[in-house]
Amino acid sequence: MNNKFDALKDDDSGDHDQNEDSGSPKECEKEKNEEEEKDQNKKKTVVPGAGEHPLQYNYTFWYSRRTPGRPASSQSYEQNIKQIGSFASVEQFWRFYSHMTRPGDLTGHSDFHLFKEGIKPMWEDDANKSGGKWIIRLRKGLASRCWENLILAMLGEQFMVGEEICGAVVSVRFQEDIISIWNKTASDQATTARIRDTLRRVLNLPPNTIMEYKTHTDSIKAWEDFHGLVNASGGR
Amino acid sequence: MSTGCQKTTSRAIPTTRRVTINDAAHMPHDYSTTPGGTLFSTTPGGSRIIYDRKFLLDCRSSPVARTPPRCLPDIPGVTSPPSALINNEKATPPLQSPNSHCSPPADKTAGEDAQFEMDI
Repeated sequence: MNNKFDALKDDDSGDHDQNEDSGSPKECEKEKNEEEEKDQNKKKTVVPGAGEHPLQYNYTFWYSRRTPGRPASSQSYEQNIKQIGSFASVEQFWRFYSHMTRPGDLTGHSDFHLFKEGIKPMWEDDANKSGGKWIIRLRKGLASRCWENLILAMLGEQFMVGEEICGAVVSVRFQEDIISIWNKTASDQATTARIRDTLRRVLNLPPNTIMEYKTHTDSIKAWEDFHGLVNASGGR
Repeated sequence: MSTGCQKTTSRAIPTTRRVTINDAAHMPHDYSTTPGGTLFSTTPGGSRIIYDRKFLLDCRSSPVARTPPRCLPDIPGVTSPPSALINNEKATPPLQSPNSHCSPPADKTAGEDAQFEMDI
């Protein structure tokens, strides 16, 4: 399940061999081959098991952590992000979630991403490039619960905006944590308003909570400004 | 409508999904929801599988939801694949998950009670 984007496995962040040692290599190998075949047919790679509750979409969990001292670039971002696995049913979701650290217990500058299968948690992905995100900054101690409420709402299709939702991110930072939800079309105000209202409802946010919508084009521009614009090799 | 239309014959409703209820916890929280999620045929974009938070949380306690996923990458401090337990779990159903953060009752109480006390 974690081998879909082989390029992403090729990680040089200093903590190697992270995908190698889960229990039963034979089964993993088999699953991988099956998935590769299915990938080529552009079909869903995971399916709900018998008696499980199917989700509207398949999703993939990702994890990323900023490596101190490395030059930030689009390339190193992609290399630092790891797939945890994909799921197609409620039960399969809980299997992953229950074996992952809660965001509030993560250390350092790290993020969990939960995106629809096939959408990379990157601005440049086709599904994201015209999109944007709602951002909510949280004081320390709230991230785990807010993240859980956010992703349960997303998986349960509580947002009611058709195909618009791309995924959700929780970012653990030094003094605060940030949760965000990404959608496809930043210019679609009816959609972004509906997402905002659903967020308020499902997160039980107090009315004075500041919520900010940011288009990915703005994020890219801010990123470029911050990093002294495009260097010769970066191209970002 | 027009004369060129094909003759319509009655047919069975195309998709039937059977949802097995093994546990009272699998029953939906409110009367407007059917077991296994509600299929609304009239939402924009067609049928969607909708689950509320309560239903999703209830599914957490089913045995299949507590089995660790296959091929979970081992990222220290982030994931906890119970590789050492895989053989044992085949013999005995995993009633207790190895990780303390998997304990559903504890999570549930925290989630329910704390909902309205947030102060950002």
